[in-house]
Amino acid sequence: MKRHTVRELQDMIADQSVSSDEVYQLYLNRIKAMNDSINAFISIESDETSSGTEENDSEIKGVPYALKDIFCSEGDKTTCGSKMLSNFVSPYDATVVKNLRKKGTIILGKTNMDEFAMGSSNETSFYGNVLNPWDTERTPGGSSGGSAAAVAAGMAPIALGTDTGGSIRQPAALTGITGLKPTYGRCSRYGMIAFASSLDQAGILSISAEDAAIFLEHMAGYDHKDSTSSMEEVPKYTEFLNDNLSGKVVGLPKEFFDGSLDSKYQGLVSDSIHEYEKMGIKFKDISLPNIKYSVPTYYVVAPAECSSNLARYDGVRFGHRSSDDSDLDAFYKKTRKEGFGQEVKRRIITGTYVLSAGYYDAYYLKAQKVRQLINQDFLNAFKEVDVIMGPTTQQSAFKLGEKVDDPVSMYMNDIYTISSNLSGVPAISHPIGFVDDLPFGMQVIAPHFMEHDLLNIVHKYQMVTDWHLQIPGICRELDR
Amino acid sequence: MSIKKSEIEHLCNLSKLNLDEEEQSIFLSQMQSILEMIKELEGVDTGEIAPMAHPLQMSQRLREDEITEFNERDKYQKNTDFAEDGFYKVPKVID
Repeated sequence: MKRHTVRELQDMIADQSVSSDEVYQLYLNRIKAMNDSINAFISIESDETSSGTEENDSEIKGVPYALKDIFCSEGDKTTCGSKMLSNFVSPYDATVVKNLRKKGTIILGKTNMDEFAMGSSNETSFYGNVLNPWDTERTPGGSSGGSAAAVAAGMAPIALGTDTGGSIRQPAALTGITGLKPTYGRCSRYGMIAFASSLDQAGILSISAEDAAIFLEHMAGYDHKDSTSSMEEVPKYTEFLNDNLSGKVVGLPKEFFDGSLDSKYQGLVSDSIHEYEKMGIKFKDISLPNIKYSVPTYYVVAPAECSSNLARYDGVRFGHRSSDDSDLDAFYKKTRKEGFGQEVKRRIITGTYVLSAGYYDAYYLKAQKVRQLINQDFLNAFKEVDVIMGPTTQQSAFKLGEKVDDPVSMYMNDIYTISSNLSGVPAISHPIGFVDDLPFGMQVIAPHFMEHDLLNIVHKYQMVTDWHLQIPGICRELDR
Repeated sequence: MSIKKSEIEHLCNLSKLNLDEEEQSIFLSQMQSILEMIKELEGVDTGEIAPMAHPLQMSQRLREDEITEFNERDKYQKNTDFAEDGFYKVPKVID
């Protein structure tokens, strides 16, 4: 089986060696052949409803993509991985979906995810966990695990995801693909089901940085329906891909290299640094002294915003509705008990606790102040260096069930990724090798709105390495 | 720092969420370890630091007071079987 990049599909469609209908059918057949083994898709969209209003000169016309089931797409079921929204049909398109639809892209289906994007292993999905194509006893990561597995297994050339604390980058790292979380506000959040509004950001899971550049150009931009979306001009990202890297300075935070990373992964990180040095990049040791507080800060801020955002699920206007309607208060409580899974319930309770009278100052306000310190660390570091690099995760894909009963150990999965969300800076994960046949990823972090730098750096790396082109064995078996 | 079962019950009431006995006891121990982790923030010196509510320094934009959106009630009410004459039906709230 060959996995095609978006760039290759563009060329194939443009020189008419294949029609966009044939491309769509190819992926649909792969999804049908593989979804039972991977469980990456919650629903598969039919051709008629997903075809876009085609702009004839669009460079991505006819390119199909997978959409995380957190994005509204008009007329399609949008479950957010939850029983609560098992019967919810989007009445409108999310802005990023609308932007891509205008360009003639085609939605292949809606991908599986942790319930309401709360999880790092896809085990909190109401629709069963996604399996990692590299080893089906292991997690693909989360929360955008379905999108990651779909791209890794060649069931989609590219996918959209969301990243609140690492939900694009961690699954990208665990499945051997490229995952970009843009700057907070770079893409509109309108029509993207809210988890933690000051942290959520839409992004891309793709084979290559080049593909991410192609899609981001069309997704990003100001939207009057999201007052936190940025008016900053959207650059033509593809034009920066081949810029010379010589003279760029990369910071290596000592807090990411404190000895806690197993030596087998450390070896891969050192190899990739060496590869970058050959391109003329200079490395410099830096410190982000408050980064160690990222996980506790996040687990105050995110549940607080979650408890507020998820108050809307009351069973009245949409979503699951309890059949017990003896009185209104009992009806609300029962609807929410039946509709939400355990992880979501615990975060609502935690968020309610940190916001409740007597605890607000000690927890929520304190966390927002520490968040400011973490942000300052990044701003200070970027006075000295162009970007920051480090591992995306502490380990490769772990076994399903391994951490499911221990939330704190699960939360530590995001130890390297969370700080970018707290500060709002963009970050990208890219594959840098394998340990015991499982992929491992490296993260690059840039100042606000410097996505073109991230894409440029990773693209150059991917021009001289082929880690991002490795295909899981399960895909080869399909051809036999 | 510890959390009591009665506090979990209070939080359930505030967040309009029923938990059964088993969930309550699981949450009690899990929240204990989450609060232990969060406790680490206590020691951080944040004396003069302003809380960060938003990643970007930007102010709220205003638009012209013109009608841009129209009422699409019927379309939105297709997401429930419990709408009638444009209203949503809820359990009886007054006797």
